[in-house]
Amino acid sequence: MTNNVLMRLNGVTRTYHMGEVTVNALGETSLDIYQGEIVVILGPSGSGKSTLLNIMGGMDLPTAGDVFFDNDNLGLANDNQLTRYRRNEIGFVFQFYNLIPDLTARENVELAADLVDEPLAVTEVLSDVGLADRMDHFPSQMSGGEQQRVSIARAAVKNPRLLLCDEPTGALDYQTGILILALLVKINRARGSTVVIVTHNTPIGDMAHRVIRMRDGLIAEIRENASPLPPERIEW
Amino acid sequence: MGALYKKLWRTIGKTKGQFIAVAAVVTMGIAVYIGMTTAYFNLNESKDQFYRDHHFADYYFHVVKAPQQVTKQIEALPGVTGVTGRIQKDVTLVNEHNKRATARLTSYTLPMEREINSLQLLTGRFFATEGVAARPGEQHTRTGDTEILVDPQYAAANDLDFNDVVTIVAEGKTVPLTMVGTATGPEFIYLMKDAATLLPDPKSFGIITMSRERAQQLLNLQGQVNQVLVTLAPGTDEEKLAQQVKSILEPYGNLAAYPRKQQLSYAMLEGELDGLKAAARFMPAIFLGIAAAIQFVILGRMVRAQRLQIGVMKAIGYNSRQVILHYTSYSVLVALCGAGLGTLLGLALAAIMSQAYAMFFNLPATIGAVNTEAILYGFLLSLGVSILAGLTACRSITAISPAEAMRPEPPKGGGKTLVENLSWLWHRLDTAWKMSIRSAARNRGRFAITLVGVVFAVGMLVVSLFTIDAVDYMVESHFHQNQRYDYLVRFAAPVKENEILNITRLEGIQRSEPLMEIPAKIKFNGQSEDDAITGMNPQATLKRLFDHRQQPAQVPEEGLLINQRTAKKLGARVGDMVEVETLLGIGPARHSLVKIVGINMQLVGGGSFVSLEQANRMLQERQLASGVMLKVDPAFAARLEEDLEEMTGVSSILSRQKDLDNFNQNMDAMIYSISMLVFFALLLGFAIVYNSAVISFSERQRELASLRVLGFSVKEVSGILLKENLLQSVLGVALGLPFGYLMAKGYMNAVSTDLFTLPVTIYPTTYIYAALGGFFFILVAHLLGVRGVKQLNLVEVLKNKD
Repeated sequence: MTNNVLMRLNGVTRTYHMGEVTVNALGETSLDIYQGEIVVILGPSGSGKSTLLNIMGGMDLPTAGDVFFDNDNLGLANDNQLTRYRRNEIGFVFQFYNLIPDLTARENVELAADLVDEPLAVTEVLSDVGLADRMDHFPSQMSGGEQQRVSIARAAVKNPRLLLCDEPTGALDYQTGILILALLVKINRARGSTVVIVTHNTPIGDMAHRVIRMRDGLIAEIRENASPLPPERIEW
Repeated sequence: MGALYKKLWRTIGKTKGQFIAVAAVVTMGIAVYIGMTTAYFNLNESKDQFYRDHHFADYYFHVVKAPQQVTKQIEALPGVTGVTGRIQKDVTLVNEHNKRATARLTSYTLPMEREINSLQLLTGRFFATEGVAARPGEQHTRTGDTEILVDPQYAAANDLDFNDVVTIVAEGKTVPLTMVGTATGPEFIYLMKDAATLLPDPKSFGIITMSRERAQQLLNLQGQVNQVLVTLAPGTDEEKLAQQVKSILEPYGNLAAYPRKQQLSYAMLEGELDGLKAAARFMPAIFLGIAAAIQFVILGRMVRAQRLQIGVMKAIGYNSRQVILHYTSYSVLVALCGAGLGTLLGLALAAIMSQAYAMFFNLPATIGAVNTEAILYGFLLSLGVSILAGLTACRSITAISPAEAMRPEPPKGGGKTLVENLSWLWHRLDTAWKMSIRSAARNRGRFAITLVGVVFAVGMLVVSLFTIDAVDYMVESHFHQNQRYDYLVRFAAPVKENEILNITRLEGIQRSEPLMEIPAKIKFNGQSEDDAITGMNPQATLKRLFDHRQQPAQVPEEGLLINQRTAKKLGARVGDMVEVETLLGIGPARHSLVKIVGINMQLVGGGSFVSLEQANRMLQERQLASGVMLKVDPAFAARLEEDLEEMTGVSSILSRQKDLDNFNQNMDAMIYSISMLVFFALLLGFAIVYNSAVISFSERQRELASLRVLGFSVKEVSGILLKENLLQSVLGVALGLPFGYLMAKGYMNAVSTDLFTLPVTIYPTTYIYAALGGFFFILVAHLLGVRGVKQLNLVEVLKNKD
């Protein structure tokens, strides 16, 4: 693990206006993400972890503060620049997979591959996630674990520098969850992608290089993990 | 973009019912557009070309008789580019079995190069005139017979062929004529005897053409003409020139003068073309408008339903433009499918229409051109409309932020609906009704669009069925209310009333009433209008008159019941004195002053009425009659008709029954177009209601499944949807009926001509049928749209979050 900063958040806040109610989803937060590390952000519902992830992924803009990726300030980016950022730098993995129901596993991955100049080979990536023989199935014909693997393949095929995972195991059983986490570690090792996992499942923190705890929209604690556990040894 | 296209295809596959429905509406719109535009264009072009090639006259002058050299004088007038003097006269034609028909004998000077309203030979050859070829280079056999050309419709209706002999009565003598071919001219495209005729009747009226010398001989008009036709240089002041010509013709007894636009064939054809043009714009506009509305609804719903997917696409890195393009492609495909199919159907429709027109109109060659411009516009139009609808529906995509799209959409706004303020009503409604009303209020846009669609479809049903009412009304009023006689016998020349006794003594005649018809000019305030004045006994019962309020009117002993149209043009009212100038053609023109005592309004034709005595006074004659109306015992009708046919002095016998038969025959074509319109209207209504039902069903699957889980039966659940649908339907039908009336009115305004106006009469049963039709398409669409209720998989629907 090198100590190069991939992303720097500086005094970032995010406030939502829902009708007449103002919600402070994220208080003033500063954080560095290093190249090639695995970061697990822990916290209960409403602690601001998803908001943080969305801002990191260029899906949402901070109300205040700066977000640097490389040397670009995402806080100042317009819609086009954000789209380009998501397209080229980010891979997303969602809790509910969010596959396009009308597309097969292969086509869902192609959907992402079509977007970048030098994607990885679609079939290879699908094989890597263990779906070599399920490529032509539709999401409705696949189990949750399989769908999440397609979702990971879809994120990975662009070979992004930053892989953002929002509760990737939240909808899965224990065994399948472990399998998914192992896949993320595999990608981190093989491609050097930085992986940020958001979860409320504390034991998952054991596989991270760093664990960030959030509470009430603020970072409560940042803990470095000298010897991360392989996912297979995590239990919950 | 490969994967996105696959997604598009699969989306279409999944919504194929909706896709087909909306593409069908586009197809209809484009088919109607291309069909009607092409037919209009071809008919218009053929007509214009025909007019151009055959020097169609700009002005017509009828005189009693004038020396043919008078044309030289007229030719010298500045602005006149051509003059033709000719003979035209209606003569009695005696068919096999002594049946009478009327022939409009028209003369032509050969060669025909510079002749105005020249003839177009269709079959056979030109009639020979001694030593002169019809066209340079043509060879003619010389026969002693009088050779004629006959108009093709008359020839076809009466099975006439080359070398057949046709007999006419001219100047009291029967004359055999030899037919050597068929021909038509620019003034004979729409062949009707006069404006009082309802429809062309080629069995009883036709055109016979021959050389001028022959016509002059036959009619005892050596060296004379009775009509002068002129063509004018562009920009000539028509009215001023007409005055000059009239003063030249004054010594020879001016009978009538009218510009091209009052020429019967021209006016009828223009009316037909105007109607076609109006329909060619109006109908496609409805279809494409509704199609756009449906696409707007479909895509709007799709974007909302796939909000999450859009969020994902954006999260992955697709930009708004790409996503919008993806969804708009759906409507582009609809447009292309619709335009493609519509073009094919439209060309077929154009061919059918052109054929129908060719049957109806005497045009030498109808251009059957494929109107590429119309096809191009058809594609552009459907693409434009679809893209517009697509972009409008998808504009919300820009606003979808990927982060928010990931979160489930909050339940749609509650809020009270207007009905809820009427608490006495609201509390009486059951839960299902409350749900339906709230849902309609929540989806106001879609509700409104569906409503408008239903209104248009029901309105179109009213309009299509209204045509039947209009015709029925016309038949009822023309054949049953106005004309009470079975036969109208006209004499070659006016006879003394007591001579009619020959006829009235015939067996089977129950009642006979004489009449005197006088062509006349009615003058008021310096203006003059041609009209036909009929004199009949005030007690007459065989012809009934009605005033402008549709109240029965009686012929006055003294004074004039003026033709409503004439009165309107002259600006004359009841109580005004007008001058009447008789134009009988025999005897001098007589002038008299008459007071208008009432208005006569007829749907077809018209005419002014006076008492028989007054008619005679106008002519300074006594007890003259030009015809007689007969009411006969049906048992004797056939025999009687034969007897009448054999009488000399009888020029024509008008049989109400035959007119009616001819009319009904012509209605067959109308039934086709009405059926087509009804089908279009049903399809239109179906498409929009079906789409709305499918969408409201799929949008509320979870809600409906929840109801099923709670214990609602399938029937109860579809009941809720039906109630929501009924809300639209009842309202749509209720508004559609009056809207149909307005459309009918608009249509009538567009097609009514100087000669022909129909009041917008819609029978109550038509409204009932239209409403039933409306409920029919709504019910079918609803049942097809929500047939998924039975298959609702409760577990699946509740588990998946769309």
